[in-house]
Amino acid sequence: MNPEAFLQLDRVIHEKGRLAIMSMLAATPELSFTELRDALSMTDGNLTTHIRALQHEGYIAVAKSFHQKRPLTKCSLTPSGRKAFTQYIDVLEKIVRQNKPQ
Amino acid sequence: MDSKWAEENLQTIRTLMERSAVYRRALAPIMLCAGTVGIIAAAAGLVFQLNSIHAFCELWLGAAALAITGAFLIARRQALKHQECFWTPPTRRVAQALAPALTGGASMSVLYLTGTNDGTFAALLACLWILFYGCAIHAAGFFMARGIKLFAWIMIAGGSGCFVFLVLNQGNWNLSGHWLMGVFFGGFHLAYGGYLYLTEKGIPST
Repeated sequence: MNPEAFLQLDRVIHEKGRLAIMSMLAATPELSFTELRDALSMTDGNLTTHIRALQHEGYIAVAKSFHQKRPLTKCSLTPSGRKAFTQYIDVLEKIVRQNKPQ
Repeated sequence: MDSKWAEENLQTIRTLMERSAVYRRALAPIMLCAGTVGIIAAAAGLVFQLNSIHAFCELWLGAAALAITGAFLIARRQALKHQECFWTPPTRRVAQALAPALTGGASMSVLYLTGTNDGTFAALLACLWILFYGCAIHAAGFFMARGIKLFAWIMIAGGSGCFVFLVLNQGNWNLSGHWLMGVFFGGFHLAYGGYLYLTEKGIPST
């Protein structure tokens, strides 16, 4: 089996929690922190850490505002995040194709 | 590492994306529409004294058809507004999850329509409908907005509780089927729709 494909996998997205966040955001314009936390059953701290890592890579954008006098954090995928996510899926599909019996 | 892992990852991504897509569908207008239809139907049933089992079934099956049509049109409008396909795989999954219990509820109506025409059984039928509807919503709850499973459990508990109450008090049924339907299908939908309307657009977070 060709290990090159595995080396092409984006390590930032490859982590389980971050991959879940990217997947959720890829299908929708934006999600609030609470929506992500509830949908993925993550703790606040865990989700914050993953969001920071993705934000640091420029994969997601975080917008902070107030709704009814309470803080509201919205996350969305950036164009580079979408591109990285698409490439990640392409690599996964390549791995699957390579290992399918002829 | 083998390719099975990659396949599993792709499946997880697909599921999460589908869940996310349905998660964002605004349920508030659908719930408010269903609640309004429920209240109007209950009022019509009580005002026009539609107490025979046939009249009861016809009224509420008509109301259900109206509510489903309204929900369909609202969901389609949302999809068009967001330039999305209406009949997406997640939408299909929700429909598939709803179908078995709703079919069960509908078949109860057929049994009633072909059997007795005693109006006192209308309340029993209402309880069964509420119970089946709760089961249907609960099955679809995994793909839908937060709080929907609690809403489903309220329906299931309410329907079961009223059913047991009616069976234990045979011959002394003062519960009106229209009142039950009005409270559960009208009132609860409106209450849940109002809750979603206030919270769906922006959920406070940390």
